[in-house]
Amino acid sequence: MSEWDSLTKMAKIEVVVDGGDVPAVRELLLAAGATGYTSVDGVSGLGHHGQHQGRLLFNDRSSLSMVISVVPLDQVEPVIAGVRQLLQDRHGVFFVSETNVSRPEYFA
Amino acid sequence: MSEQRIDLAPLLAQVQQAGSVVAPYWPVSSFVAVNPLGGLEHLRFEEATASARSLYGAQTHLSLADYRAEYALGRITDAELLSAITKANPAGAGAALQLGGASVTVAEIIMFDLLSGPITPEGATEPDSFTQSLNSYLSTWCATYVDSDTAAWALPDKEDGFFAAWRSAVEVDRGFTKLFGEETAVQVAAVAHQPLLALQQSLDNANIADSDRAEVLQLLAVKLPGWAGYARWCDEWAPADHRGPSLKFLDLLAVRVVIESAAGQIQRHASTQPMNDVTVEKARIDAVIRSVADGPVTDGQRAAVAEIIQNHSDDDRRHLWLQAHERNFHDRLLGKLQRVDPGRPEAGPDAQMVMCIDVRSEGLRHQFEALGSYDTYGFAGFFGVPVRWRPLGSDLGEARCPVLVSPRHEIAEVPASNAPIGEVEGFLGRAAAASAAQRALHDTKKHLGAPFAFAEASGWLTGPLAAARTLKPGKGLRAKNKPDTAPAVDDRVSNPSAPSLISGLSLQEQSLFAEAIVRTIGLHEFAPIVVLCGHASATVNNPHASSLDCGACGGAPGGPSARIASAILNEPDVRANLATNGVEIPDTTWFVPAEHDTVSDVITILDPELIPSHHADAVTKLQADLATAGAQNSIARAARLPGNPANVRDRGNDWAQVRPEWGLAGNAAFVVGPRSITQELDLSSRVFLHSYDANSDPDEVALETIMTAPLVVAQWISSQYYFSTVDNDVFGAGDKMLHNPVGGTVGVLRGDGGDLAIGLPLQSTSAGDRRGHDPLRLMAVIQAPLERIEAIIARNTGLRQLVEGEWIHLAGRSHGHEPWSIRTPAGTWETWQPATETPSEDISLELA
Repeated sequence: MSEWDSLTKMAKIEVVVDGGDVPAVRELLLAAGATGYTSVDGVSGLGHHGQHQGRLLFNDRSSLSMVISVVPLDQVEPVIAGVRQLLQDRHGVFFVSETNVSRPEYFA
Repeated sequence: MSEQRIDLAPLLAQVQQAGSVVAPYWPVSSFVAVNPLGGLEHLRFEEATASARSLYGAQTHLSLADYRAEYALGRITDAELLSAITKANPAGAGAALQLGGASVTVAEIIMFDLLSGPITPEGATEPDSFTQSLNSYLSTWCATYVDSDTAAWALPDKEDGFFAAWRSAVEVDRGFTKLFGEETAVQVAAVAHQPLLALQQSLDNANIADSDRAEVLQLLAVKLPGWAGYARWCDEWAPADHRGPSLKFLDLLAVRVVIESAAGQIQRHASTQPMNDVTVEKARIDAVIRSVADGPVTDGQRAAVAEIIQNHSDDDRRHLWLQAHERNFHDRLLGKLQRVDPGRPEAGPDAQMVMCIDVRSEGLRHQFEALGSYDTYGFAGFFGVPVRWRPLGSDLGEARCPVLVSPRHEIAEVPASNAPIGEVEGFLGRAAAASAAQRALHDTKKHLGAPFAFAEASGWLTGPLAAARTLKPGKGLRAKNKPDTAPAVDDRVSNPSAPSLISGLSLQEQSLFAEAIVRTIGLHEFAPIVVLCGHASATVNNPHASSLDCGACGGAPGGPSARIASAILNEPDVRANLATNGVEIPDTTWFVPAEHDTVSDVITILDPELIPSHHADAVTKLQADLATAGAQNSIARAARLPGNPANVRDRGNDWAQVRPEWGLAGNAAFVVGPRSITQELDLSSRVFLHSYDANSDPDEVALETIMTAPLVVAQWISSQYYFSTVDNDVFGAGDKMLHNPVGGTVGVLRGDGGDLAIGLPLQSTSAGDRRGHDPLRLMAVIQAPLERIEAIIARNTGLRQLVEGEWIHLAGRSHGHEPWSIRTPAGTWETWQPATETPSEDISLELA
């Protein structure tokens, strides 16, 4: 059995939203079954609404943040449904992909 | 489990969507001005105000009668009305038509209608009786819940949240049954104990389709905007170590939905806008014809006028008036600022003073500069250091930065290294005793009967004290004999008594903060004395006291921020680091912290014992001039404040005073540029002034910082004053005389019940039937290359919404010798031309 085969397949959700919307995303992820998340503040890039600045000196709420979470594959549906609903009336994108983790008990 | 989550996660998202319409409400202990329509800022101002009228039943503009009063006073002219009308209808406003022998344009017909057309009777929309009962019931529950942290009798199941506590109690609450009926009580008792599940059951029971849920929840969320706003603050803005009562928005909404569903009362659609009254419409047509026609009017001509009138509802008319009102102010202000920027004088000043951008600083700066060789600058009053501050003797730190920023460090006030141990111990002992006495007094209040016994026992002392304080305000009790202290800024300094609470700032962080201050305001050369002057407002018996403190410090006094920033800028290692980046602060320069009490106009030099002795004479002169400037500023303020001008500086200590100062009332513009463009001009304390020099900001970092933080905060303040003025019942806090604090420092109720009061008290925006604030949208005036301004707007979504949605107006010029241009919502810049040939340059706000 290779090291790769020893990993457990799970779903990774990455949500990019305004800093002010991060509390809603976090609450939603936890309510939908995620056991945790990682937040990266001040992300920049180019998207549907044009260029987005990275970290602002005195405004943590208006720059974009990325919230990352990992859940078991059989729990990803509620996360998708919830985030899709949340983003109906606000800026943001989210990505869902398969990932592999070494400590599945952390995420279930 | 998974299936349940699939059902509930979208519902939770819908709850969050509903909540986003409600503006968060900060506890009154750290009052933060917010736009009560902040949740609608993704819409254009005109659309958002239409939504607010529909959702809240609120007024969003002055009444037509109020605008006509402004016109009668000459503060709106025909030319400004025509300008607003043409701007709203650029294609058709110029078209001419014949009316009873006269030739008139469409714009003129609309103007005559604005001036003389009858007004549809205006009145507040009252909620139906069920909603009134439910609002009252829920408000009582919210007040009980947030008060129960301090109450002697604990609320059962409180630790599980608001919904759980209510759900447990409601089954045995006969009062609920009496209020809402047996059938409703039975249905309520059948729902789940978990709020999201109960919400889903109730929406299902009411047959609310999934596609309608977001709208329905939104309608229900705004029925108690005060408590909902507080819940939003608890959910999204409260600091992690918040010790006060916490209320979840989901819990609050779930209780309402459960009851409304059980009672069969859920409202599914927003109330529709009232139709134009046919009788009033006919009278409007007649009024226009009377104003214009010299002869008989044909049916065709009358029909043409009718079509124009019918296309302009009362709401449209108010919005045109608002735009004309704003145009009047813009022309006055830009007329004042249209001179060529004279630049800075060659000779260096004796002293420089950096004050908060707050409009109240402008008056003092104006007075101070006239007294000597002084330069002044404007910068956000937290001086760019986002920290929590823990005063000596306190175990609780408070954020001292704008709420847009999370504090990154906690700075403790520690005894100065040379402070006598006896003094320190004495002070700490007294602080502990005072804290214990407060707790004892508080505990006394909690027990039935104890307050009566306390009054009997202590009345002989407190009675005369109260009488003395009433008859002779001005001499409050102050902390005495505090030892010399210093902010423990450096992480190399530690307080052995509480090391875990002090993170301090590394040298690198201090250097970054220091550089941000000097670069953002374009400070190139340094005088021997540079004063960093924060501000505070010392008032008594005032639950809204923090609304008068420094907004940039999170609704707290600005002195500690000035002390911290000064300590950083006086640090030799910081200066050495700055020098390597091209910022040379001479060894002969000393940064002096100070605090401006805006209610008394007393400016206090802080940490005077740290000032090197060779600056003593300069500081003595400075203090004398600051005292003179304060006295002169208070005379200028007294002219606007109702009441005896002789007492203007003592009003903060008068516990019967409902208007200790005007605060930021009158604020209307935000000027970003060098002081030279506004120097010597009397801006009547109506303008936020942020110093900026585009020449020293080639990468536009400073400008972006200003436009994405101080400008945004100023827009919140401007909006708070705007909406508290146009509808104080809905967006303001009502009459101070009726305020009843709730939940310790959560907020106030109007009388013994009702919603948590949001916004500003009536006395903050008016004096009797006279307005103390002009409700105008904020005008930002920026001297910086227009392409840089555009680039910053383009890459900051929130800012773009404010500008393109016309929540703020924007004027700019690339260089000091150019005329000002106005940015259109479409992103083009049009050279400013006043609507009238010679607009007044007086921007003072006489009470209307």
